[in-house]
Amino acid sequence: MNAAAAKARLRTKLPVLMVLLAVLVGAITLAVVAVRGHQAQPSQAQQVQQIAAGLHCPICKDLSVADSPAPLAQQMRAEIAQKLRAGESADEIRASFVAAYGDSVLMSPPRRGLSGAAYFLPAIVILVGVLGAAMLIRRWVRSPETGPADDVEAAPLSATQRRAVHRALARLREEEPA
Amino acid sequence: MRRITRRRGILLGVVAAVVSAVVVLLSTGLGKDPSVVASPLVGRVAPDFTLSQLNGPPMTLSKLRGQVVVVNFWASWCTECHTEQAALDQTWQQFQDSGVVVVGVNFEDTTGDASDYVRTAGVAYPVVEDTDSRTALAYGLRGIPETFIVDKTGRIVDRIIGPVDATKLSSEINEVLLAGAR
Repeated sequence: MNAAAAKARLRTKLPVLMVLLAVLVGAITLAVVAVRGHQAQPSQAQQVQQIAAGLHCPICKDLSVADSPAPLAQQMRAEIAQKLRAGESADEIRASFVAAYGDSVLMSPPRRGLSGAAYFLPAIVILVGVLGAAMLIRRWVRSPETGPADDVEAAPLSATQRRAVHRALARLREEEPA
Repeated sequence: MRRITRRRGILLGVVAAVVSAVVVLLSTGLGKDPSVVASPLVGRVAPDFTLSQLNGPPMTLSKLRGQVVVVNFWASWCTECHTEQAALDQTWQQFQDSGVVVVGVNFEDTTGDASDYVRTAGVAYPVVEDTDSRTALAYGLRGIPETFIVDKTGRIVDRIIGPVDATKLSSEINEVLLAGAR
């Protein structure tokens, strides 16, 4: 195998290698996040902070209850702490605020109804993108010289055109050195 | 001449559908006033409270059952609350003998400032203090002034964001009174 052929082969395989690398990096990232998720039980202050970070400060613009210095946000944090002490779960506490304010008090949209689209749509878009990229890469690998395949179908040849093609091919064969 | 293949046609159709969906979502969302968020409390029993009055004994909302209650959240530092003061006073004068109670719930204020305002502005209806904002949170308060109309059965029938208008408030109270009489 000569060097030029090896280079050409590498060039055609490069997109596949890049996709594989991206998948590998993604998998490693997910693994790290999964491992980090199993941390020690957070303190009550950390739990308050976590719950408050997931709630909009109702009287501020684009600030969470955790970040807002507003007295109402302070009161919300105090209420979260009190509810935690009373044994309520994070979900129950969030639900109590949703009961008074509606879903808009949540920093992230709920996973049900129309808002649920915010969670599955990006995954679908990424999946479609990956599939599209995979199809393109497959085509490039199959015909590296021509590049991306043409999506336009050739019109069927007429009888005259077919005869002309046959004549041209016959001429080429005659001109070919034995 | 190039013909559009079936595959390309499907792709164009999908893109057109996605673009249309985004346009519809944006156009319906942009048509709404972001400051007006529907309250999930409307139609539900009003959260109960027992709060101390500025000039009187503690007041409990559930003890007012059988009357229409106008719960108005306000503060002495809130200029829009000053704007609606006359409308609330007018409503109180007009309906206090018809089974309607106006309750001012003082929010994020000091007792001194609230008392001074009540005295100088001549607020005649009962005013209670929500010192720890717990009642405000129970009512899903997003700012002041905010007013809730509670019917005779204790259900919230409306929430008004911003200063109330005397005429609108009167007609709404009349409707609630009529509905309760049926």
